Amino acid sequence: MSKIIVGRYIPGNSLIYKMDPRGKLLVTILFIFAIFLANNPVTYGIVTVFCLMAVIVTGLNAKVFWNGVKPLIGLIFFTSLLQLFFMTGGHVFWQWGIFAISSYGLINAAYIFIRFTLIILISTVMTVTTMPLEIADAMEWLLKPLSIFKVPVDKIALVISIALRFVPTLFDETLKIMNAQRSRGADFNDGGLIKRAKAITPILVPLFIHSLETAIDLSTAMESRGYRGSEGRTKYRVLNWSKYDLISLTYFVLLVGLLLIFRTH
Amino acid sequence: MKGDDHMNAKKVLRTDLQQLIFLGIIVAMKIILGQFSFGPATVKVGLGFIGSVLLGYFFGPLWGAIGGGISDLVSSAIFGNQGGFFIGFTLTAMVGPLIYALFLYNKPVKIWRIIASTVLVTLIVNIGMNTLWLHIMYNMNFNAALVQRLPKEVIVPWIQMVVIYFVLQAVSRVKIKK
Repeated sequence: MSKIIVGRYIPGNSLIYKMDPRGKLLVTILFIFAIFLANNPVTYGIVTVFCLMAVIVTGLNAKVFWNGVKPLIGLIFFTSLLQLFFMTGGHVFWQWGIFAISSYGLINAAYIFIRFTLIILISTVMTVTTMPLEIADAMEWLLKPLSIFKVPVDKIALVISIALRFVPTLFDETLKIMNAQRSRGADFNDGGLIKRAKAITPILVPLFIHSLETAIDLSTAMESRGYRGSEGRTKYRVLNWSKYDLISLTYFVLLVGLLLIFRTH
Repeated sequence: MKGDDHMNAKKVLRTDLQQLIFLGIIVAMKIILGQFSFGPATVKVGLGFIGSVLLGYFFGPLWGAIGGGISDLVSSAIFGNQGGFFIGFTLTAMVGPLIYALFLYNKPVKIWRIIASTVLVTLIVNIGMNTLWLHIMYNMNFNAALVQRLPKEVIVPWIQMVVIYFVLQAVSRVKIKK
């Protein structure tokens, strides 16, 4: 039914691994916004070079990144093709009914193709070089300013860490339940629509009951170990900024500077 | 089905902490379900929407939306975000459970509620917001993005409604002995 890998982290010890996950996450998010600034061949060239630099700095095999792009390659091509036909303007090379290939359409299709690939590549750099736990800690840090708006950030942090912790456990549980139901004749990939929809409940209900029981047990365990809400607690896992984070900062400032200079205004 | 039956699972969780942990586990469940899909190769239906329905059904609009947002963040952390980190998709993940909650939270399971919530989620979230994000992220022509997504969004909601009906029927029957 699915090939699932929990965690895409690949160990390594290049420069990028030594950076703080908060810095990496921030630069990744901002990089995607920086791509919005690109609007001519020169700026697209610049973001491509910067993205490839990040990819090379990881020191990982190209195959890792190809695996990131592969599941979406069909979608990327299809999207670019649709753009090609929908955008009109400039010199028309070929026309058939409402479909037309124009110079404007060609350039736009190429831009979209580049954007797609770059966004996937830079996100892959992030997830491959950072452990999920670190990414979650970085997200928690990024959410902190929201507490000004009375968003219960510490509660959210608790939910994040519980969800992160239980994804692998619950996934194993799901497979076990499915196998148990299969061994008694359940069939998840056959029959009509309603039959298939019905076949989901024998997986979901045990999973759901198991979740409820786990929640009750875990809360009892946490309370008996003295948990009384997130306030007034210390942190055991602490993130530390390092000198390497200056590199990613410089990288980003340079990128945005160059884009602002060379983009068509 | 009796009117008070669907409250059972909720009554079992007495403390705030139990609720929060249950939220965390349901978020984990949503993430896992999102990795599964069923149906023939032509129309694959992902199961993540079941997680959204459960979030809305059990936790209401506010915490359902928060849970939806967290599910997007955590699944990005674990599986990487297909198509890249983008705050818009986190927003999308929040609005789905919110809409389901408005129709299903503390309400008896009724077919019209399921139909209305699914149609609204499809229109606002899948067709509206997600297309808008693709438009913003990739500078795609809005109509082209719409044409690409529309065929699937016309078929899938009907399948989702059937699944939601059976799932809510089953889940509201759950009684925990404690």
